[in-house]
Amino acid sequence: MSVSNMPALQLREYLERLPGTTFRKLYQQPSTAFAIFRRMLPHLAKTFVMRMLFMPAPMLLADLDIWVKPDAKKQKDQALFILQALHIVHISPPSREKPQEMQLTTNFKNSMRRALTGGGTHNSFGVPSTLVVPPEIDIPFLDRYARKKWEDILHFVVSSVGFKSAGEVSGPNKSVKELLIAGRLVERRPNGSIGITQTGFTFLLQEANAQVWTLLLLWLEAMETNKMAGLEAVDMLSFLFVLASMELGRAYDTNALTEQRRNMLPSLVDFGLIHVPHHKRSMFFPTRLATTLTSSGNSLRSISEGVAAATSAAFNGTSNSGGPPGHGPLKSSTELKGSVVVETNYRLYAYTSSTLQIAVLALFSKLNMRFPDMVAGRLTRASIRQAIQFGITADQIISYLAAHAHEQMHRTAALTNKPVLPPTVVDQIRLWQLENERMKTTGGFLFKDFEDQKEYLAVAQFAEEVGVLVWRNDKTGMFFASRHEQIRDLLRNRKKAE
Amino acid sequence: MDAVDVSDHYEVTTSEETPSLLSIVLDTNPRAWAALGNVLPLSKAIANILVFVNAHLAFSNSNQVAIIAAHVNRAVWLYPSPPTAKKPTDTSGDVQMQDASTSAPPGSANKFPQFAQIEAAVLASVRKLTDETTGEDLETTTTQLSGALTLALCHIHKASQQLSAAGTNLEDHTKSSAATNPMKGRILVISVSDSEPAQYIPTMNAVFAAAHSQIAIDTLSLSGDSTFLQQACFNTNGTFLAASNPQGLLTYLMFGLIADTEARQSLIPATHDKVDFRAACFCHGKVVDTGFICSICLSIFCEVPENTECLTCGTKLALGNYGAKPAVIPRKKKKKKKIVNGTVREDTGSGAGTPRA
Repeated sequence: MSVSNMPALQLREYLERLPGTTFRKLYQQPSTAFAIFRRMLPHLAKTFVMRMLFMPAPMLLADLDIWVKPDAKKQKDQALFILQALHIVHISPPSREKPQEMQLTTNFKNSMRRALTGGGTHNSFGVPSTLVVPPEIDIPFLDRYARKKWEDILHFVVSSVGFKSAGEVSGPNKSVKELLIAGRLVERRPNGSIGITQTGFTFLLQEANAQVWTLLLLWLEAMETNKMAGLEAVDMLSFLFVLASMELGRAYDTNALTEQRRNMLPSLVDFGLIHVPHHKRSMFFPTRLATTLTSSGNSLRSISEGVAAATSAAFNGTSNSGGPPGHGPLKSSTELKGSVVVETNYRLYAYTSSTLQIAVLALFSKLNMRFPDMVAGRLTRASIRQAIQFGITADQIISYLAAHAHEQMHRTAALTNKPVLPPTVVDQIRLWQLENERMKTTGGFLFKDFEDQKEYLAVAQFAEEVGVLVWRNDKTGMFFASRHEQIRDLLRNRKKAE
Repeated sequence: MDAVDVSDHYEVTTSEETPSLLSIVLDTNPRAWAALGNVLPLSKAIANILVFVNAHLAFSNSNQVAIIAAHVNRAVWLYPSPPTAKKPTDTSGDVQMQDASTSAPPGSANKFPQFAQIEAAVLASVRKLTDETTGEDLETTTTQLSGALTLALCHIHKASQQLSAAGTNLEDHTKSSAATNPMKGRILVISVSDSEPAQYIPTMNAVFAAAHSQIAIDTLSLSGDSTFLQQACFNTNGTFLAASNPQGLLTYLMFGLIADTEARQSLIPATHDKVDFRAACFCHGKVVDTGFICSICLSIFCEVPENTECLTCGTKLALGNYGAKPAVIPRKKKKKKKIVNGTVREDTGSGAGTPRA
């Protein structure tokens, strides 16, 4: 179904490639249904699902229009599109006798209900270990552990650019290195050294949560290609969702896992998602990297924040620095704020002492001052062009800056009702990129040779509404869309109606 | 080639979900629940509410919930659990909220850990509440709603302050607090009893405070006549639902009340067509249709206060000529014009017609 041969770096892309039967299998587990609901859906779609969850009978598709305000039609269509793509909602095909009906798919509905009401014997939220927990393993310990593991991986990617980071880094496990190379995040140069690729930069500039998923998906795909481990992708994926719904700081029983899942544990240890104590092999602890897999956004939002959270935990080891996310009463995000300030004069300040973040910033800015807890620098034409030569795009730089913007920037933006980053800087970064690059490629499908103009207009209009339209030319009757499944269905239905 | 056109500014916005805090005020009036017992026992209602709470928490891991019981003579925290008495209180008098996670929750592999904790905390608090309810408490028939509302408001305020207080100095904060709301607060009242007229003033104060800080108050009325809550919902842009079949509590909650303030921007809300706008008087606490209003402070009285002095602000009020029947002056009838010779011209009074040009 998919045209690109690139590995899917985003969970959504990965999921959308899966066939419907896989989804049916996935949704058998309440934790999976719950995690996909929480992680993958836009807000409006969540509301729709919740409203339909306890409905006894399918509802008319037309009724949905009554729920939604007319000016929010676009959001509604997009929500519906995602719900269908993830096989959460089933819409009956249109026919003359019956109006179109929609309902939640059976497995999803049952599992979601089960997740909310509890009960059953599915064990999908993890079986806690009954053994005595070693006293030295507490939440700060797990945070430090996860940070160390993850930083090793990131350092490995960053240092391949040529920025030698201070401090001795042992580097990630060999299998992880192989994985990064197989996933083309880094590549072996002819002279034997390791160099970063453009995909690698995309990876580096993502938020931590997305990074973890990228790596996990690479792993899943690698496993699929060499079936030697006998692991099944569906089961692996649902185990990841199980991990995501576990509780930080709690020990879980290894023996309750299936053989397959137990085989996954060593790799997960390499990624820093779980911790297995050396002397107690029968229990494992999920780390923050695992338990925040399904939270969207602000949990361990970026490298710097994760580091900040972990270091603060390390410093005041005994004090309770942030309980389990979601349970931490009211301060879940206070300690997880961005650190970068960008001024309209292209100056850039970052309140951080993490070598990793400084190395990332140095990829696209000229840093000239370093203080104990802060670095200052400038975005210059030369620095941006250098970054672009590495293969970083302006969009990546901008989204990185936006994602890591200091809280002060957010506040001023909200007060003055302006965008978070100064528009002049954002525009200029793009202009600098455009000096070299005048083309942008989008993978997709060209639709042409329609029977008449009317049909063309209707289909193009539809494509625009569901948000897949990239380009259209009314004169020649052609348009280009980034996806074709929905349009294909529409065309088929139109044919049938004729 | 649209991408080359940079004439338009690129807006960079960070799309981050604002956490949403749902405070549920549960009316635990024993008499009212006893009356409802056949259709919907309290235990079943709480089970339904817990599913609803789970649904709210499922939206995002940053979502929070607080549950408060409005009892006959007091308001009680159900979740998060109230502070233990032996703890030294702050000098500021702030109440330290304890999260329930401190008490070791029972581990189960079939339940999301957070849900299990909340369930355990709520059930324990409700049991404690029912155990502590004495026979004297039952003498009172109405519910202390205003106290619970105020508690909920304080909690929301505190929660949003804690969220926004990270590393900001005070003046910054006062400036920004008006502009940015770090958290979407919402109060859901599950009401089973009538509104108590004596509580009109505190309730409405709470309502206006909520409206001021843009907190919606939603109400699900299972029985009874909750006049003030209708007004509360109306004033705060909340949803008022009167459940005609209380046994379908979960459906009402999931369908009508799951949408938080963000989703409501694009959804058409379920509405109650008529709102009871009657107010209670300040002197006797009676609900009145028409009454007297102090022209200075707008206090409402059901009858003329003593010495015609306003009970609230003490202003000496002049009553005008109260009680006097307005003199009815009949309207003068207009003379009917006769249409003569087809002319419709008005009679100008002057003998001679207007000369034609």
